[in-house]
Amino acid sequence: MASSQKRISKELAEVTTNPPAGITVSLVDEANVHNWNIVMDGPEGSPYAGGKFKLLLVLPTDYPFKPPKINFKTRIWHPNVTFDEHGSMCVGILKPEAWKPSSKIMSVLTATQQLLIEPVPDDALEANAAEKFKNNRAEFNKEAKEWTKKYAK
Amino acid sequence: MNSGPDSADVFLESLGDSPSGETSAPNTIARPLPLSSFSSIPYTVQFEINPESTAFITSSPGSPSLSATHKESLTLSSLELNLRHTVDFRAITYDGTIDENLMCPICRCPLVNPVLTDCDHIFCRECIGDSLSHSELCPIDRFPLSLKDLMKAPKMVFNQLDSLKAKCPCCNIAFARSMLEHHMEKYCPESLVRCSALHSSKKCAGVVKRRLSDQGCLHYQVQCPDCMETLEQAQMEDHCHTVCKQRLAPCEHCTTIILRHKKVEHEESCSEVCRPCQWKEYGCSYEAKQDNLQLHNDKCTFKLFGAIAENIKKEVNDLRKEVGNLKETNHLQERRIKFLESGQKASEKPFEFMDSSDANLSDTANAETLDTGHEYLLSLLEVQQNRISNLAAELSELRAKHTVMLFNETIPMKNELAELRSTQQVTCMHVRWLMRFRMQENQRRFGGGPGPAPSGPDGGGPSNEMPLGRRLSDSMTRDLITKL
Ligand SMILES: [Zn+2]
Ligand SMILES: [Zn+2]
Ligand SMILES: [Zn+2]
Ligand SMILES: [Zn+2]
Ligand SMILES: [Zn+2]
Ligand SMILES: [Zn+2]
Ligand SMILES: [Zn+2]
Repeated sequence: MASSQKRISKELAEVTTNPPAGITVSLVDEANVHNWNIVMDGPEGSPYAGGKFKLLLVLPTDYPFKPPKINFKTRIWHPNVTFDEHGSMCVGILKPEAWKPSSKIMSVLTATQQLLIEPVPDDALEANAAEKFKNNRAEFNKEAKEWTKKYAK
Repeated sequence: MNSGPDSADVFLESLGDSPSGETSAPNTIARPLPLSSFSSIPYTVQFEINPESTAFITSSPGSPSLSATHKESLTLSSLELNLRHTVDFRAITYDGTIDENLMCPICRCPLVNPVLTDCDHIFCRECIGDSLSHSELCPIDRFPLSLKDLMKAPKMVFNQLDSLKAKCPCCNIAFARSMLEHHMEKYCPESLVRCSALHSSKKCAGVVKRRLSDQGCLHYQVQCPDCMETLEQAQMEDHCHTVCKQRLAPCEHCTTIILRHKKVEHEESCSEVCRPCQWKEYGCSYEAKQDNLQLHNDKCTFKLFGAIAENIKKEVNDLRKEVGNLKETNHLQERRIKFLESGQKASEKPFEFMDSSDANLSDTANAETLDTGHEYLLSLLEVQQNRISNLAAELSELRAKHTVMLFNETIPMKNELAELRSTQQVTCMHVRWLMRFRMQENQRRFGGGPGPAPSGPDGGGPSNEMPLGRRLSDSMTRDLITKL
């Protein structure tokens, strides 16, 4: 769909010329605007600080009518991200029932950043991490820091 | 967790880049994005084609995609060369910042054909149509919404959108958005028009930029000198600028990458090309690259002289121009005078001529010609007066010369005359003497008969003799003079 491509390249231009702090965006394949590589710095004040996390953002062909999908390609110990090679993530505004075609990718990226600072344990994908986050914050932070050191250099 | 695939490798695989982890790592970050490659040609050209000649421009890379619509199949022989352009207002660029309220929240472009929802949101009709086909909710506040709830946006929104300054995708000049298609159809020098050429009584079916449309048919095959590709001459310019694989080359002097096509233009401004001092023509032989040349310019020995020479040159050129102008006007006036002179000679009945002109010419024209005519006549009169005074001077000179000549010639004549007179007097005396001698002899022979001759020759003789002698001498001198 040509009109969706136009909107995507517009948003891509917006994000590359004026990127949010700690985020760099590039295309996986320069001929295809639907797959974006995101490199996100672990936010200061979170256990992920100092790490560089690689994400893959996939925009569906019927974007903006369907929400984009984001996966962590760098393993991350986080209640809302599966701790496996898929790195599936769940963030509120990307849920199909909450997605609005007027939302921007920029806001998706900042929401993801916000999720690293403030996990939502009630909406967890990784139950183990969510449990530790709720009940033993120190232990959670320690473990998250360790995984960050191990994978997100 | 060592057993799992290394995260970096997974990421790199997804990149489809080189397999080695270390070398490609920097590649993954912030590569310059070739955004230009996503922007397709933002307009389509519609035209009716001859059913017979279906083999016409197929969209080749770089050439605008043409959507040929079979309308009422107007014959191409019509003189109308303009083509209807349909511009995609979402794919063009706009001048200045656009009010966020005029942007469609779905396509993120200035609204096209805006509609208003029940919940007071405005979208492009096309965008909201697409959105509602996915889910019947407002894309902003997720209120239930269906196509029949949409109404045309207020006129004011349309007006604001119409006056947005949109850049023409061909010539890049900004126009009011509502005028853009009209501009491209009728005026834009860079937009496409039909080729006006005829090929053996058949119209050429090609299209060409309006700017090039007066160069005859450019729809013949040529070879690109850089990449050896064959293409139509009409597309050569675009090919050299954007398509040609060999279009870029480093400058021989500064090694920046430039368009081959623009090499000459670049070299004029290239900082590494050696250029002569600006006062070269006045004798400075210094040659250097841009930076050094600027240093040299300040201390060049020809600086002062060059500036003066430049001024003089300018002045001389100005004067030359003026002389040229004057010559021209002079030539013109001479021709006019000649014309008037010949006219005077030819028109031996000027009054008749004037009458006819009075009858034929309108008043204003008449007055004008009369005015200028007077001027010419006056100037002519002046010329003639000059001539007359010249002639008078010449005449008096000639007269003086003549009198001198006459005088010179008459003096010898007078002298001769005086000489002749004296000789005549001498001969007169001789004749008188001889006559008297003869008369005395006769008297002596006839002895004092009728007169008192014997009584004495001195008595009554002289009274008779003298008048006769005088009379005789008088007539004789008269004869002599007339013979002379
Ligand atoms: Zn829209
Ligand atoms: Zn709404
Ligand atoms: Zn134009
Ligand atoms: Zn032609
Ligand atoms: Zn070429
Ligand atoms: Zn150069
Ligand atoms: Zn010099």
